Amino acid sequence: MGNSALTDKYEHRSRRKREWTVFSILGLVILVLFAAICIAPFIYMVLMSFTQSTTATLQLREIRLTDFSNYNYVFRNNGFLRSLWNSIVVVGFSCVLNCIIASMAAYGFEKKQFPGKEKLYLIYLATMMIPGQVTMIPIFLMMKEMKLLNTYYALIVLILNAFGVILIRQFMKGVPDDLIEAAQVDGCPEFRIYLNVVVPLIRPVLVSLVIFTFVTSWNDFMWPLISTSKSGMYTLTVALSLLKTQYATNYGLLMAGAAVSFVFPFVMYCILQKQFVEGIALSGIKG
Amino acid sequence: MTRKKRQALYGVLYILPSLILLIMYAIIPIFMTLYFSMTDYNMMKAPAFVGISNFLKAFKDSYVRAAAKNTLVYSIITVPLQTILALVFAAFLAVKLKDKRFGGLLRSLMFIPVIASGITAATIWRIILATDGGMLNSILGIFGGAPVNWLGDTGTSLISVCIVAIWKNIGYFLVIYYAGIMAIPTDLYEAAEIDGATALQQFFRVTLPLLKSITYLVVTLGIIWSFQVFDLSYQMTGGGPGKSTVTLVMGIYNSAFKQNKMGYACSQAIILLAVVLIVNLIENQFFKEKD
Repeated sequence: MGNSALTDKYEHRSRRKREWTVFSILGLVILVLFAAICIAPFIYMVLMSFTQSTTATLQLREIRLTDFSNYNYVFRNNGFLRSLWNSIVVVGFSCVLNCIIASMAAYGFEKKQFPGKEKLYLIYLATMMIPGQVTMIPIFLMMKEMKLLNTYYALIVLILNAFGVILIRQFMKGVPDDLIEAAQVDGCPEFRIYLNVVVPLIRPVLVSLVIFTFVTSWNDFMWPLISTSKSGMYTLTVALSLLKTQYATNYGLLMAGAAVSFVFPFVMYCILQKQFVEGIALSGIKG
Repeated sequence: MTRKKRQALYGVLYILPSLILLIMYAIIPIFMTLYFSMTDYNMMKAPAFVGISNFLKAFKDSYVRAAAKNTLVYSIITVPLQTILALVFAAFLAVKLKDKRFGGLLRSLMFIPVIASGITAATIWRIILATDGGMLNSILGIFGGAPVNWLGDTGTSLISVCIVAIWKNIGYFLVIYYAGIMAIPTDLYEAAEIDGATALQQFFRVTLPLLKSITYLVVTLGIIWSFQVFDLSYQMTGGGPGKSTVTLVMGIYNSAFKQNKMGYACSQAIILLAVVLIVNLIENQFFKEKD
């Protein structure tokens, strides 16, 4: 009897295995197809940027991979060089300042005790629910009043928000209190504890924050569009949006501009791929 | 000073820089937006109090109505589709291609659209969706399809923007789901297997319930992002044709920075905030009920 039950089970399993195989091949085809759809536009962008095409169709014989004239043109005539520099400055300062300010605040929230701390933290959490566009108008008016429009300060300061504090605080729960107390007993000055004990231990989450800040800041569009009116202060996204307005059908040129705006995040992704993915996964599991 | 008091002081000092920024650039501005929303401020003369008339005007404004409708449609299309596709793709990759290099490669490729800016993605897709010779119409042509004016037709323009948004977001949510699935202990599946659960049953009975908190995050983020949509519409269609792709944020932008109607724009911003909060409340109820 036991024997027949076993056979039953075996048959049941093998039948299921076969169904699963058809299903898995179909799934695999869909996944490969979707992966192709994910990268095809970027391949198209790069190839198109090496043509002088004024039609949307990519003509293979028009591609001149040694002809950088579109890139030369956007760099020289459309201020892309200056915009590239602006984007690099804004992203650089945003990343560094966000790490410093957010990690200090997270340390204060997680490892120090003071009255009203958790209530204050709730306010931090609540600000995450407010879309940035809701507060953009008064900030614009304030900055206009203080003559801060068209400055790096304006572009950088709005990138610094509660997100970094929340992200790092989650991670800092894993930093043992004993370690901090031991340093205090040894008479280590307070700021050195933060710098030499805490910061090295939270390095992984700082890498995640740098990646988040890099991508948000590099890709930020609406605020740079509003807060900059001088072409010398445009970031790459603003420069690219204007390029579209000026050269709506010069497809080679547009794709060169798009490629310039994409190359930095892409290279960063290629180098730090593991950290990119882990950083986002981390925010998901903890969140 | 006692040790305890000194530690408390240090705590406040560590938080201070971030708190100053939060007060200056989040808390004060939100109250200013609320204040301006009840004034007629237009940057020419001092703001005068007008009560709720801006809100009444916004509810009747055909532009704001179109923007609200489009944003809602955009949200209803993108959030479920990107969530379900990301989940199904992640589950498939986790079950079938877990230890395979190929699975890793696929995940890496699917993440690439995430790192491109909305403006970059829109610039490329605008050309791919071009009526004459655009890549999508060329592919349709191979299968004998007639060319579609994707961005120039009021019937397809919003859908086109949605498709690009989904294309851009899936990789992000896929990575979150994949990590969540990998964190589920394998013995749960082994137990289900022994009990004779099919792969599909395992997915619905084991995987899905354990991913609830992640699904909540994915849906919340998806909703917030969808109500903030601006870049894609701005660069792909500029809100057109007609009012077919204008969004709530675009309405705020146009009122404030094209027409200098700061008060009116602020009232639209408050409406946006209210919608986001209400939708989030409904979502919270929904996730609570399923417990």
